[in-house]
Amino acid sequence: MPFHGDLLSRVSLVVLLGLLAVAVLGPWLPLGDPAAVNVGPRLAAPSGEWWTGTDSLGRSVLPRLVEGIRTTFLLAGVAVMGTVALGVALGMLAAYYRGPIAELIIRGADVLFAFPSLLLAILLVAITGPGAPGAVISIVLICSPLMVRVVRAASLSVVGRDFVVAARVGGAGPVRILLVHVLPNVAGTAVVQATYALSVGMLIESGLSFLGLGLQPPNASLGSLVHEGAVYLPIAPWLVLIPGALLALAIMAVNLVGDGLRDALDVRGVEVRR
Amino acid sequence: MNPETDPSAPVLALSDLVVEYATRHGRLRSLDEATLSVAPGQIVALVGESGSGKSTLGMAAGRLLASNALHVGGRLSLAGRPVYGSGAVDGEPLRALRRDVLGFVFQNPVTALDPTMRIRRQMELACRGRREDRHERPVAELLQEIGLSDVSRVLRSYPHELSGGMAQRVGIAMALRRRPRLLIADEPTAAVDATLREQILRLLVSRCREVGCALLLLTHDLHAVAQHTEQIAVMYGGRVIEHGPTAEVLDHPSHPYTRALVAALPGAEKPGQRLEAIRGIPPVLHTACPGCAFAPRCPDALPECRSTRPVYAAVGGRKLTCHLHTGGTASRSAASARNGADRDPADDADRDHHGQGRRTAT
Repeated sequence: MPFHGDLLSRVSLVVLLGLLAVAVLGPWLPLGDPAAVNVGPRLAAPSGEWWTGTDSLGRSVLPRLVEGIRTTFLLAGVAVMGTVALGVALGMLAAYYRGPIAELIIRGADVLFAFPSLLLAILLVAITGPGAPGAVISIVLICSPLMVRVVRAASLSVVGRDFVVAARVGGAGPVRILLVHVLPNVAGTAVVQATYALSVGMLIESGLSFLGLGLQPPNASLGSLVHEGAVYLPIAPWLVLIPGALLALAIMAVNLVGDGLRDALDVRGVEVRR
Repeated sequence: MNPETDPSAPVLALSDLVVEYATRHGRLRSLDEATLSVAPGQIVALVGESGSGKSTLGMAAGRLLASNALHVGGRLSLAGRPVYGSGAVDGEPLRALRRDVLGFVFQNPVTALDPTMRIRRQMELACRGRREDRHERPVAELLQEIGLSDVSRVLRSYPHELSGGMAQRVGIAMALRRRPRLLIADEPTAAVDATLREQILRLLVSRCREVGCALLLLTHDLHAVAQHTEQIAVMYGGRVIEHGPTAEVLDHPSHPYTRALVAALPGAEKPGQRLEAIRGIPPVLHTACPGCAFAPRCPDALPECRSTRPVYAAVGGRKLTCHLHTGGTASRSAASARNGADRDPADDADRDHHGQGRRTAT
């Protein structure tokens, strides 16, 4: 939707930057200790005093939400960096070395791709045990196959181009060709793909935390906040609705920023608009 | 320079090179015993229709063929070092050989440059790995030499900011920067604006002459060939079918296919006269052609042309792959008997006679 895509992604970028600022500055905001119990009444509704209410242990929800945003972004962000490193490296290798190495990488990616993502995440956490490392590894393994495929497709079109042949005539070896010529040409694609990986990562992290397989209490993530509030849904719906809405907002913002980036980096799109 | 290369050996020598592509529809034979030799410093044109194997031959020279290409037989050597065939170099020696001997100029100058890099950096990268790096002149001088005026702007530019002609000049400068001994130019002017073609080609040939680099020019453009090259090699069906001095071959083509090509060339026709198209379609080979690949389209084909492969042999100062010109007497007399005319390669009237004959038949 190019006609209003620009405005939408700009608004999304502002929302995303706002959430990121909250995530980064969270511990220094004067909101109180997210883990302190009985600082207020139990299950108080949002009001002037308690902006987002309190939970069943009398904890203020606002600092817990900030911590939740922080956790969700942090874990998903770390996992996306891992995904980019792994996916770009394997994708470029699979494009450059056709043959058994490429087959191994591609089939491996296909196998991971075949699992429903949350099921795979639960399986992996069952191996690693609940906690941050398990969640990060799960996200990396779930997001990498798509990254490998996308980067490989982009690299395949680059390695066949004349300037790569020219570099080979110049005596360049595989390392130089991949790092100097192929990587810059697929970087844009990888960045756009990384934004989608970030939204998937946030969803997986929240899903695992909701199931109690992510970060353990008293640490909060948006998923575990929804989980804690779920029991009180009939009497204190804000405990579920607010973190749920924040999660939806964050994921939507990431996706729309990704769309905007894709349009901005697509050279052909720019030419058409001129 | 690579100490293992031989300065007196031909920079490029193929003998009976066979290359096939493995495709979903079976094997496709692109080179069917191609034989060719390019001496140091020689300017050679390689002409032929699309699919005749020119580009495969060019890429095979650096062992840069696509991964589905298979070397089936024959030999290819670069400056005396084998690239295909027994004792072929591989790995680091192959890379060193390419670096020291070869340069490429591509058809589309814009895709031949990396879109993510400024020209200056690309030109600097183009000569890395040479021992005499430090003594190389700055890239700005190289660009001045190839006739670019606004050098500092060009160096700061990305490839998409250059015109096709400028990009091709940069491509030529980059290819010659490492002082290769053989430059392979695959239709270097096909993607360039028509008014610049002549300039670019003249630049390419003169720069090659200045640095003493041999040039293998892959092209369709016979006019350009006539003006700029010393030797011409004509390819058909994956073989070199005629190779000799350019002026001689174009003035007195011997092989029926070369004759047909020259007859199809616009330029010398009188008003109202029709240009001769070559009838039929070029062959698609799946395996070795049993006879001469041109036989089905050849107006003078003998019975043996379809059943026996002609050999690549020296005939009167040039190389030919044709049963009508074996240098022997048997087939010549057969041809004479059939056509009622002597098939001497220098016999221009004969060519005209055949041209007329076909014209009236059309």
